[in-house]
Amino acid sequence: MGGGLPALAHGGAKSRRAKHLTEPRWVRVLAIAAAIAFLSLVLVLPLAVVWWEALRKGLGPFFSAIGDSDALAAARLTLWTALVCVPVNTVCGVAAAWALTRYRFRGRQLLLTLIDLPFSVSPVISGMIFVLLFGAQGWFGAWLSEHDVKIVFAFPGIALATLFVTFPFVARELIPLMQALGSQEEEAAVTLGASGWQVFWRVTLPNVKWGLLNGVILCNARAMGDFGAVSVVSGHIRGKTNTLPLHVEVLYGEYQFSAAFAVAALLVLLAVATLFARHFVAWRMARDRAAVARADAEPSESVDSSAPRVPA
Amino acid sequence: MRIEIESIGKRFGAAQVLTDVDLYVPSGELVALLGPSGSGKTTLLRVIAGLESADGGRVLFDGEDVTERHVGERGVGFVFQHYALFRHMTVTENVAFGLRVRPRRERIADSEIRARVAELLELVQLSAYANRYPSQLSGGQRQRIALARALAVRPRVLLLDEPFGALDAQVRVELRRWLRRLHDEIHVTSVFVTHDQEEALEVADRVVVMNQGRVEQVGSPDDIYHHPATPFVYRFLGNVNLFGARLEGGRPRLTGETLAARDAAPGAGACAYVRPHRLDLSRQPRGGDALEATVAHVHAAGPVVRIEVSDRAQRPVRIELSHERFRELRVKSGDRVWVVPREIHVYTD
Amino acid sequence: MSSSRSHAGVLPGFGLSLGITLTWLSLIVLLPLAALVLLAAEQPFERTLAILTDARTLAAYRLSLGGALVAALVNTVAGLLVAWVLVRYEFPGRKLVDGLIDLPFALPTAVAGIALSAVYAKNGWVGQWLEPLGVRAVYNTTGVVLAMILVSLPFAVRTVQPLIEELEPELEEAAACLGATRLQTLRRVVLPVLLPGVLTAFALCLAKSAGEYGSIIFVSSNLPGRTEIAPLLIMNRLEEFNYSAAAVVAIGMLLIAFVALLAINLLQAWTRRSQEA
Repeated sequence: MGGGLPALAHGGAKSRRAKHLTEPRWVRVLAIAAAIAFLSLVLVLPLAVVWWEALRKGLGPFFSAIGDSDALAAARLTLWTALVCVPVNTVCGVAAAWALTRYRFRGRQLLLTLIDLPFSVSPVISGMIFVLLFGAQGWFGAWLSEHDVKIVFAFPGIALATLFVTFPFVARELIPLMQALGSQEEEAAVTLGASGWQVFWRVTLPNVKWGLLNGVILCNARAMGDFGAVSVVSGHIRGKTNTLPLHVEVLYGEYQFSAAFAVAALLVLLAVATLFARHFVAWRMARDRAAVARADAEPSESVDSSAPRVPA
Repeated sequence: MRIEIESIGKRFGAAQVLTDVDLYVPSGELVALLGPSGSGKTTLLRVIAGLESADGGRVLFDGEDVTERHVGERGVGFVFQHYALFRHMTVTENVAFGLRVRPRRERIADSEIRARVAELLELVQLSAYANRYPSQLSGGQRQRIALARALAVRPRVLLLDEPFGALDAQVRVELRRWLRRLHDEIHVTSVFVTHDQEEALEVADRVVVMNQGRVEQVGSPDDIYHHPATPFVYRFLGNVNLFGARLEGGRPRLTGETLAARDAAPGAGACAYVRPHRLDLSRQPRGGDALEATVAHVHAAGPVVRIEVSDRAQRPVRIELSHERFRELRVKSGDRVWVVPREIHVYTD
Repeated sequence: MSSSRSHAGVLPGFGLSLGITLTWLSLIVLLPLAALVLLAAEQPFERTLAILTDARTLAAYRLSLGGALVAALVNTVAGLLVAWVLVRYEFPGRKLVDGLIDLPFALPTAVAGIALSAVYAKNGWVGQWLEPLGVRAVYNTTGVVLAMILVSLPFAVRTVQPLIEELEPELEEAAACLGATRLQTLRRVVLPVLLPGVLTAFALCLAKSAGEYGSIIFVSSNLPGRTEIAPLLIMNRLEEFNYSAAAVVAIGMLLIAFVALLAINLLQAWTRRSQEA
């Protein structure tokens, strides 16, 4: 999936459009109904059913499924994975955005495409490439087993696969933003004698902080929620190499439906929290932009407001 | 076709944009709606077009009430400030659009459409660009294509929203003279919106000055410039000096006091308005309305000599003299002079 | 932006930032992918051909690609409709619906999969109504398409939504002034402007759906040669320790993804060009 995640829309509908700019009322009602019906069928019902199934047998089974030691181990592994991958990819994403937006160099366009690469690769392939490298029959397989280093079917493999799939998120958010901002402010800081780090911490970062946060939120959601890639490298060892999404699959495969839905319900919560965080960030970004726009629009103090425009 | 506007009112949320506007546009005239931003001029234009519906009042075309008529059926040609050309269509397709979207039975033959488009491109002098896309044209060319597109449907009225607003100063001047000549050729009733008084005075047969959703004055450019009906019109049309004044036996006399803009607020009593070029200087003390002052700056570069003097209260007064008059007087910074008004307008509350 | 040879001279950090980027990109992305390409390339040509033309492989490709085509078509139309409704119409709950669209981005695909199966299985909320009609929505190709629609929906909506928001109202006003009916305006003025975005949405949905794994395996019966998607085939080959076959199948998938990516990039360049006008 090239192109990454499109930005959240944050423009309200124009209130009360003139007749000639909108469709007849019956068309609008029909379109709204069709859109909502479609979304209900593919989006709302499936989400609702997760919670309904999770709580169908009451709160007791729900909490015992979540409090189960294997579930807790899966949650721990998921957290660790995110804790390793998110900071690493954040730093790299910032470095990539800086290199790609602040300089022109040969191969820049190619690099832009390569950064997007993990988006276009099927999750299963994202996982399998690490099996090919580090699996028992992989390139380094023999060497690794000689030295008793476990990568595949262990935490390092899960972390590597997750690093791969979450690689583009931060850079993808930052690049268009930093491109649009331009480097004038940074150049101004340099002419005023700021060092490279000072420029970054005091000029660049404050300007892109919400975009960066947005990237981090997305990166984290994917790191915690990835299924396909992790599924290939994990080996599904209960209580050891299962992340939460994998744990859902294991429970489901064992026909422990309520337990599977209970863990899934947690993951739905995580997704909803992610969305709320994104909307908060988008809202703050819009607010900052509006403040800047207002400041720009403010008329400068005129010397003599009685003087009308001088004929051109 | 003549346009009559009867007590049009319009509000957007809390803002009253038009208040009880009445206007008459005689057939075949080129009329300018002139006003500062926020004066409601564009909204009035859009109400005439049918792009905006008024909260109250009527719009009549040739005596026929079109208030409820859909924009597509009013027969108006509208030229947008930023042209609104269809960027996926060539120049030809843009101009032909209005002809091609007609219901089949009203649609003219393809050959006729082509001929009409060619004729219009000729008219706007862009025949050579027929197959270009809007992105390949300059601003002035785009504006002329927008005009040709609006004219293609043979509109009864041509409405132009800040038609030169997005252009460079020089292209602007050329294009507005061209528009004037074009109007003399085709004589379609036209209304255009502008915030540039020079543009309005130079191009229009009739100027409508608007302020805060009301019509301040309607008249010929001459009329408007020489007999501004209200202080607002006076100030909007050019530079001005304000002086305190009182009426003595029906004749205005200056009190000898120079006013800043805020002093001329309603309720502050009488106030005299004098344009810089209607002020003269004298080196000898003069009685009557003359004010004693000191020359502060002299700017002699340009068609007129602009002089700023300070009165006794250190308030600035601006004067424009011809180079001939300036050579006679030979004033320089620091000289003591008397400011002699030759024409004053007094507005009382 | 200006061509910025000068930027390289003024702002420090070029070496460091590019160094980090290249190192990390090579280690995490390029090297592992190269391993895949090399392994596939090592195979004798006949074997590669045999794997690719194997009935099971072909069936898997057909399902992944065919399903993705259907899902992308559905989502392109539905996404355009949803985006239009969200931008242009006022209705209660609009903001909430707008927020929901992103959910599949954030939702682990396994959760989407078991949720769909719960709704559309024959005893599910919707499935129980379809059953008497003789319609089965899961554990067959319909289920595969359904899952693809769910996971790629946000791409369809979020790609065209900003374009609809940025439509200049003057274009529609100009068309109305010139006597066009609303339908003519939509067809001849609005749709052509949105077209590059709509096509991008299609390509994005296609790419996303073709590679989808997690949600599908829960709503497909996963029968080899029938309802086994290409990523699952790779998974199964890996489990058989048949790495080379897995690699060859994967290379085929990558090629499909690259064609889609290329199409998307070209379309986006086209969108940018047409927006500059």
